Amino acid sequence: MIIDSELKVPGGKLIKARLEIQGNYIQTILLTGDFFLHPEDAIFEVESSLIGSSTDLANIKEKLEKALKKKDARLLGVSPDDFINVIKKALDQAVS
Amino acid sequence: MAVDEAILWARIKNIVPDTLRVYTWLPSAVSIGFFQSLNLEVDLEECKRSGFDVVRRITGGGAVYHESGGELTYSLIVGEESLKTVKHFDDIQSSYAVICQGLLEGFSKLGISAQFKPINDIIVNGKKISGNAQTRRNGVILQHGTILLNTDIPTMFKVLKVSKEKISDKAIKAVEARVTTIFKEGKDGINLVDVKKSLHDGFSEALNVQFDDASLTNIESNKAVEYRERFSSPNWINQR
Repeated sequence: MIIDSELKVPGGKLIKARLEIQGNYIQTILLTGDFFLHPEDAIFEVESSLIGSSTDLANIKEKLEKALKKKDARLLGVSPDDFINVIKKALDQAVS
Repeated sequence: MAVDEAILWARIKNIVPDTLRVYTWLPSAVSIGFFQSLNLEVDLEECKRSGFDVVRRITGGGAVYHESGGELTYSLIVGEESLKTVKHFDDIQSSYAVICQGLLEGFSKLGISAQFKPINDIIVNGKKISGNAQTRRNGVILQHGTILLNTDIPTMFKVLKVSKEKISDKAIKAVEARVTTIFKEGKDGINLVDVKKSLHDGFSEALNVQFDDASLTNIESNKAVEYRERFSSPNWINQR
């Protein structure tokens, strides 16, 4: 099942998520948008850390934060929680 | 885009000094941010019909319509530490404010009163006239951006897909009414050469950097040829 979601951060940037969900697991994930992330290739670390992850939000949050930390990444226009929220929006659609 | 990255590479290697590049596009083109999805942001059919190029940047941020002759793109490549000695900044957001001061002074020289609007925009009378984006590598900042001279705004919104979510928190719902150009601000006697000079002087004064007029060095040109291959590859443009 493929689900799309979008989140516009008030006063900030836009994140779009495309998730492929298989049961309770994330099979693929793509996080796109007009945000800033330095270094830019940290996005690949974030996405690959979430592939195969369970859809449990606490687990997703932990993996995402760990990936950002590993790349010493800095975000502008969005926060790590905004990424969680756009993923949550997609997962909510999956169950509804 | 390949040239911008080649200058960044050469600046990191200390082969060239801090550099300001100002250019126009031929043919017109759409550039998308590093993280953007090509298909979600750009009407590719419309670009094809109109003969516009499409390129993915190495910087984040949003999609930009670079109209040939109606828009000016600049790139500023500066050492982070040397810039900090002129104007202190603590984080990426405040570095935008520092660098964009050069744009504000440039606009001022054209008789236009502009403001920096975080995160990365320059506005005139509440409307966007310039968008900017940075990348940072090995202590060097590349900030590039677009300046609208007399871009045809309806064409801009024909090629760019604007998300409903993005409009949701904006006071003005009509996207076209949120953008302005130098011409629309009553300065229709200004040409690209005037804008280029005012940008040069604005950045020089705001950042206390002297830019000598120069062409690309051979080593930058060669590097640009190498990078151009990547920028034009389907893998790069379709990356997401």
